[in-house]
Amino acid sequence: MRSMVDDARIPKPGFWSNWSSWEEADAQNMLGHDPLFVFPKDKLVEEGSNVTICYVSRIHQDNISCYLEGVQIYGEQLDRSVSAFELKNVSFIREKGTNVFCKVDQGGVLGGIVLFVSKVLEEPKDFSCETQDLKTLTCTWDPGSDTGLTKQPSQSYTLFESFSGKKTLCKHRNWCDWQVAQDSQETFNFTLLAENYLRKRSVSILFNLTQRVHPMTPYNLLPKNVGATKATMTWKVHSIGNNSTLLCQLELLAEGKVIQQSNVSIKVNGEYLLSELEPDTEYVARVRCAYTNHFWKWSELISQKFNTAEAAPSEAPDVWRNLKLVSGHPTVSLFWKPLSKVHANGKILFYNVIVENLDKPSRFEVLSIPAPASSTELTLDQCSYQIHVTAHNSVGPSPASVIVVSGDPGNEEVEKGRVNGTEDGFSVSWKPQSGDATGYVVEWCDGPQDLPCVLQWKNLGPNTTSTVIRSGAFRPGVRYNFRIYGISTRRMAHLLEKKAGYLEELAPSDNPQVVMSKLTSRSFTLSWKDYSTESQPGFIQGYHVYLKPKAGEQCHPAFEKTVLPEDSVCCKYTIDNPEQKTFVVENLQPESVYEFIVTPYTSVGEGPLDAFTKVTTLDEYSHTLIHIILPMIFCILIVMIICYLKSQWLKEKCYPDSPNPYKSSVLSLIKSKENPHLTIMYVNDCVPDAIEVINKPEGSKIQFLGTRKSPTETEFTKPAYLYLLPTEKNYSGPGPCICFENFTYNQAASDFASCGHFPVTPQAPRHQLGPLTSPENLLKALEQNYMNSLGEIPAGEANLNYVSQLASPTSGDKDSLPTNPPEPALCSEYKMQTAIPLGLASAPPSENSSLSSTTLLGQGEHCR
Amino acid sequence: MLPAAGEPAAGDSWGMLACLCTVLWHLPAVPALNRTGDPGPGPSIQKTYDLTRYLEHQLRSLAGTYLNYLGPPFNEPDFNPPRLGAETLPRATVDLEVWRSLNDRLRLTQNYEAYSHLLCYLRGLNRQAATAELRRSLAHFCTSLQGLLGSIAGVMAALGYPLPQPLPGTEPTWTPGPAHSDFLQKMDDFWLLKELQTWLWRSAKDFNRLKKKMQPPAAAVTLHLEAHGF
Repeated sequence: MRSMVDDARIPKPGFWSNWSSWEEADAQNMLGHDPLFVFPKDKLVEEGSNVTICYVSRIHQDNISCYLEGVQIYGEQLDRSVSAFELKNVSFIREKGTNVFCKVDQGGVLGGIVLFVSKVLEEPKDFSCETQDLKTLTCTWDPGSDTGLTKQPSQSYTLFESFSGKKTLCKHRNWCDWQVAQDSQETFNFTLLAENYLRKRSVSILFNLTQRVHPMTPYNLLPKNVGATKATMTWKVHSIGNNSTLLCQLELLAEGKVIQQSNVSIKVNGEYLLSELEPDTEYVARVRCAYTNHFWKWSELISQKFNTAEAAPSEAPDVWRNLKLVSGHPTVSLFWKPLSKVHANGKILFYNVIVENLDKPSRFEVLSIPAPASSTELTLDQCSYQIHVTAHNSVGPSPASVIVVSGDPGNEEVEKGRVNGTEDGFSVSWKPQSGDATGYVVEWCDGPQDLPCVLQWKNLGPNTTSTVIRSGAFRPGVRYNFRIYGISTRRMAHLLEKKAGYLEELAPSDNPQVVMSKLTSRSFTLSWKDYSTESQPGFIQGYHVYLKPKAGEQCHPAFEKTVLPEDSVCCKYTIDNPEQKTFVVENLQPESVYEFIVTPYTSVGEGPLDAFTKVTTLDEYSHTLIHIILPMIFCILIVMIICYLKSQWLKEKCYPDSPNPYKSSVLSLIKSKENPHLTIMYVNDCVPDAIEVINKPEGSKIQFLGTRKSPTETEFTKPAYLYLLPTEKNYSGPGPCICFENFTYNQAASDFASCGHFPVTPQAPRHQLGPLTSPENLLKALEQNYMNSLGEIPAGEANLNYVSQLASPTSGDKDSLPTNPPEPALCSEYKMQTAIPLGLASAPPSENSSLSSTTLLGQGEHCR
Repeated sequence: MLPAAGEPAAGDSWGMLACLCTVLWHLPAVPALNRTGDPGPGPSIQKTYDLTRYLEHQLRSLAGTYLNYLGPPFNEPDFNPPRLGAETLPRATVDLEVWRSLNDRLRLTQNYEAYSHLLCYLRGLNRQAATAELRRSLAHFCTSLQGLLGSIAGVMAALGYPLPQPLPGTEPTWTPGPAHSDFLQKMDDFWLLKELQTWLWRSAKDFNRLKKKMQPPAAAVTLHLEAHGF
């Protein structure tokens, strides 16, 4: 062990004493009876130190493990019962200390220590002292980090003054008060000493007291005698010593900005007159002071807010008018702009409008319009009026704004032009008015044309011929109309020019509603008369007529071939006159489909090419066909009417109800052509010579059927029908027809003996239409028997027995053969009149003849 | 007491009359029928039980904060050190048979004494705490624990038990002497919180048991009366 004196009062460097002699200690015996000891107990070290930990165990076991903050550490075993662990560069973890403990694994024995690691004590920074009253010094510093632990209190601070030899223990960790002795000590040499259990740090300053004066904040800063443009500010300061003066700085702020700054030297009371103030304006005055003898620091600021008084408005309101006729009376709308704050000088309460009739000077009319109204309307007559407008606040009126209006609106037909819009606005220029213009006014509406006009105007001097009109309300694609007026010396406005323009032209968003007319086979006419070019988002320069031609068709030379965005080819015709709103599309192909669209274009682009309209040209011959078809239909109608009227005659002529061969026209036909030997036989001339009794047994038919030929052996013969009305070749259904059959007088025709009318279906095989029970086959069988009979009787001797009936085939009785056609034909038929040899008819009944008769009657019944 | 009222009589009318008289004699002793306005110790036991559960919840949060303040290994969930140097702390653990053999008065007395000691140690803990936040939490818990002590005293008074008088010179004191190392001090703090937790758990059980025991058996009286044919 050795020692050294460590005291701030003793000048360094100190020196170490000699080492003491060694002392021996028996650790084992000194320890108590606990099984495990950990050292050093509750050690306090600085951050960054190296610490050696060791444990001494009485239980001589190897399964002892040690932990630093719960993390196992490994050390060096010095003995069977002693191990050491070196911790390097330890750091601060917590105020409650770093835990190190050792334990016997699964032995329930535990020992530990808490290692207190302190932060390194820092030297105080920014150490300085100052006084507010030359009586008390306040020293301040930045203490740095706190080194307090549960084992060590926070560092302490002590203030030494070397001239007086006094010291004080500071109660606060970053400032300390020092009472200045009454012996008027001016120079001070302070040493600030910071110390904790482990270290001491000090810092010193030397200064003159009067050079460290920091005055206290002034107080009672108040405005006094506040007028419209002037105000006096007063304030007080705390005195410093005896007869000391302070330099005070007074600042005036308006809207947060310093607009005036003044320095005033005072002892206790301060006063300053602020001038050049604006009426009715809020100001902030603020004051700070410093020690005049030696400037060290400004005091803290004190601020005071005040308002100046109102004054009469300094400028006449900007007035404009709009003339119009309401119910035939000239009406003037007066507009004025609210005065700016600078010119209003207070709150505008009302506006006075004085209307003076110039033609009758004695007549005045005064209107008082409360603020914040900014317009009024006056109904006038044809006289001229001078209108004075003044704005009033609580102090008085503004200068008058004078305008002269006349009931006659004057010439509205003036030059119209265009004006270009830029990002800045519209650059409007006009021709200077020769003569006595005292100024110009540009007037416009802020909104689009279809909205109510918010009238805007701009006054310009007499030498101005151009201006830029700016407005936040201007929008691209909206047409703005500007009217330029010249103001005469009589203060009357005359319209000079009209200009229209767009801030930024846009392509049309809509296409006109196109009406198509005069459609022919080769042309049609398009018109869009209702399209207004005024209300478009740009100046309409013309129109494009797009026509989609037929596939493969070339564009007409007047058209230009173009490719649409969807890659379809189109013919385009450009109309460069925006007022031309009709177009004839010509040279088209008849009976062809065309698609067209009319789109306007501006300098920026054209309208949307979205909805093409389809049109089909007419057939070239359609009108000719109409000229032919109509008379034909008329003629047919005439014929049909005639036919209807003459139907009775036609019936008599062609198909009388009672067939009379003499009346038949066929007869004449036959007579005229062939067989001059043919004669007509009258039934009345025939004398019946035998009565045939018909026995109709049920089985006779069956018997007959059993003897006849099989259907396959029956030769099918087509019945001879004469259709008087024309029929379709493939006619298959039943229809009105006239069946005219007569085999009576033509032996050749007697081969066909049937009255049964079968509608013939040409597609069907013929043999299927001739079943066994069909009349044809039946007659065939009959004919065969009949021919056999003729073979037995000489032909010259043969007589005829007539069985003639006019009957419908549908009227057969129950015993008739099942010859039901698919649908009964509504026919009037002239039935077959079959010639029967008399010999056969009168022959004695035999088995064969009986059979023949039966067969015949069966057929006769069928034809009845 | 009540089963005696329900014992069957000898069968004759005199026996039944004697039984009825016995019942009527004992009726004023039945707490549920004694409607003189004193609610008995039931509500105060219930309040004490509720306060115990609230303190259990409060301690859970406080112990987490304080053990983190001590640092590892004390804030490790499986840290279970031998009880070194914390011998003066009242032990909450007791053999089950021994615990069952305790009567209400003994249980309440043990609770009261334990919390008196623990509260004293806790206040010492509060004085040592370095952070303001921790001091606030500890102060709040101490106030609650003081309330619990008052509640236990109220229950004991309601049941007619006298409060235990501390023997002179045996009052627990917070003496972090120089022989007591900081590590052992931290162990004491750990065990203090652990014993508090166990005591609160044990108290909740005690007061729940007492609460059930003190419930008025009015329904049982009615049942017995009906059984005798009234």
